[in-house]
Amino acid sequence: MYITASSTISHQPTFRNKGFSSELIELPQSSDVFHPDYASFIPTVNRRRMSDVLKMAITCTTDCIEQTGRKQPGAIIVGTSMGCNTFTKKFLDKINASKGGLLSPTSFTLSPHNTIAGQISLLLGNHNYNMTHTQNSLSFEQALIDAIMCIKDGCNTVLVGAADEHEGGLYSMDARLNSNDIHHTFGASFFIISTTKPNTPPSIKLIEVGSFGLMIDPIQSINDFLNSNELSVKDIDLVLYSNSHQNTLLELSKFFKETKLFDIQKISGTYFTNSAFAMHFGVDVLLQKEHAFFGQNIKRVLICNNLISENLGLIFLEK
Amino acid sequence: MKLFVTGIGIVSAIGLNVEENFHSLKLSTTGISRSAGYDLMLGEVNLSNDAIIKKYDLPEEDFSRTSLLGLVAAKEAWGEHKIDTQNRTGLISATTVGGLDRMEKYYFRAQQDASFNYLPHMTHDNGQTTERIAKVLGIKGYIGTISTACSSGANAILQGARFIEGGKLDRVIVGGTDPLSLFNIKGFSSLMIYDQNLCKPFDASRNGLNLGEGAAFLVLENEYSISITGSNPLCLLSGWNNSTDAFHQTASSADGKGATLAMTKALAKAKIPAQDISYINAHGTGTENNDLSESVALINVFGNHIPPFSSTKGFTGHTLGAAGAIEAVFCVLAILSDSVLPNLNFSSPIKTTRLIPETTFRSCTNVEHVLSNSFGFGGNCTSLIFSKA
Repeated sequence: MYITASSTISHQPTFRNKGFSSELIELPQSSDVFHPDYASFIPTVNRRRMSDVLKMAITCTTDCIEQTGRKQPGAIIVGTSMGCNTFTKKFLDKINASKGGLLSPTSFTLSPHNTIAGQISLLLGNHNYNMTHTQNSLSFEQALIDAIMCIKDGCNTVLVGAADEHEGGLYSMDARLNSNDIHHTFGASFFIISTTKPNTPPSIKLIEVGSFGLMIDPIQSINDFLNSNELSVKDIDLVLYSNSHQNTLLELSKFFKETKLFDIQKISGTYFTNSAFAMHFGVDVLLQKEHAFFGQNIKRVLICNNLISENLGLIFLEK
Repeated sequence: MKLFVTGIGIVSAIGLNVEENFHSLKLSTTGISRSAGYDLMLGEVNLSNDAIIKKYDLPEEDFSRTSLLGLVAAKEAWGEHKIDTQNRTGLISATTVGGLDRMEKYYFRAQQDASFNYLPHMTHDNGQTTERIAKVLGIKGYIGTISTACSSGANAILQGARFIEGGKLDRVIVGGTDPLSLFNIKGFSSLMIYDQNLCKPFDASRNGLNLGEGAAFLVLENEYSISITGSNPLCLLSGWNNSTDAFHQTASSADGKGATLAMTKALAKAKIPAQDISYINAHGTGTENNDLSESVALINVFGNHIPPFSSTKGFTGHTLGAAGAIEAVFCVLAILSDSVLPNLNFSSPIKTTRLIPETTFRSCTNVEHVLSNSFGFGGNCTSLIFSKA
């Protein structure tokens, strides 16, 4: 199956910017989302009530649909660790302020995790399969695994993506990751996965995705994953990794001796679904003949997401 | 390929295990009562967090009630199962509350007490509430969480089925768990769909839902897994589908499009004609909008021959992310006991659709195929079909 469209809104100028992977610089200490002009993507009536994460996800969706010209995906699948958390906080604040009085339901009705996928179905008028996976740092990988299953079940095209926003008041990633050195960012990335090969080469294949929860040894899991795909370490040209532990990085560099390793968090910042950013980055690298940073002959990319030390996500892409 | 249901576990307002739940269904005993704390009709589980922590000798961690209720049900379903490296095993849970029961508590406390450093406690995302259940059961590998509002529990079951059918797992424990939260209680109040008395699903005078809490899990296995575990099949999971209404964020369409699609496609997946369904456990929340839309959808699919149906939300209350799993366990019980389950508090049918649910617990000659509906915000519609093994 092929990745026929990719779209990302993030703390980097990724949106509608082909070749962005060779232009990006490390994020400065303080940064913000590069918001496109949402007015040209979402009607004003709908836009007014939307939070950033909804606007970003819907705009990426519209971009993906425009890239492929296919209006109705056979399935819509979203991975999000915290969903529409800003609405959750807003409604909690209303409860707190109301002292038992009447409350407006808007922020409550938009607070469920599946609001993103639901709003996309409303926007497209899509009656097909619609799913939301919410497994913290593995949310995007699980959405992708679902997308692959949909394709194997006979779906021709799947819209799959991830979106998260940073709401510092209701959740502490620092406490979860045991770190106070996190550059919090957020973003949305959406893709079309299709059985149809794109007309213009090169085409990028999504080969396999793994989600390993509560594992002990990431290297062992990576090894198993490569073996089950009949690959060896040497077959991987580039590893895009996210992790929160120095030890894991050491082990990774020992394991991938001859492979280029690149810390995607330096570019994307840290959020639980930044492996979706990494996938778009990987696609963008593979689309180029000669990459400014990684040179020629990058044919196989492994995205290795070990943000939470006991959870490992792996995404394998091939030119 | 056959997909066997080999274990069930449940905790709800009508009982702390399968046996107690079945007993209450048989006697038409509701678990909904006026909660002293909220002055609202609620389906509360009669088991404190401390009691659960003590019962399972859990570490003194800050467990969300989502994990704790989930554990009670998952433990019962899991029974004597053991981890075995040959038997690829996963856990897929569902929740809408996740860690919000803790988050809201700490957040409100911090509003009152500025010196309370609450952020270090805010680490319960949905996924972590599932990981905690997995840790106790000893499951590693595929651990997933689905959150699609009120259809979440049914969708976790659907995911498990697809993982086994797709050859990715041999055995999977699937279900959902949701505790009560002030957030949801205030949320449904703000929508003005909260019945101040007992909810009356499918009744002409229905005027809203009652919230409840609970959890339920099922163990699904393929033949290979059964050859290792020696489990006794309770029934089969034979059909499933998820479709979207694409009408409104919170309301169901007048023509019941999403629900009609989900039921029709689940029947096609199970390869059984509509008239072979022996009993339907409806979503039936008791709101004006859901019950009318679902009735229209039932007529769309079954025409003039609607099988015996009921909503069991008058027993448990609407348990949100757990509802699809709790009702799946009820469907398994209907098959095992060859009976149809009652719809409480019904007196007169909706004028336009005239559908009359089952109002008493009734034995039948053969309950062969059972359909379960779950619908959620975002127009998310899921139907599951269980069949005799």
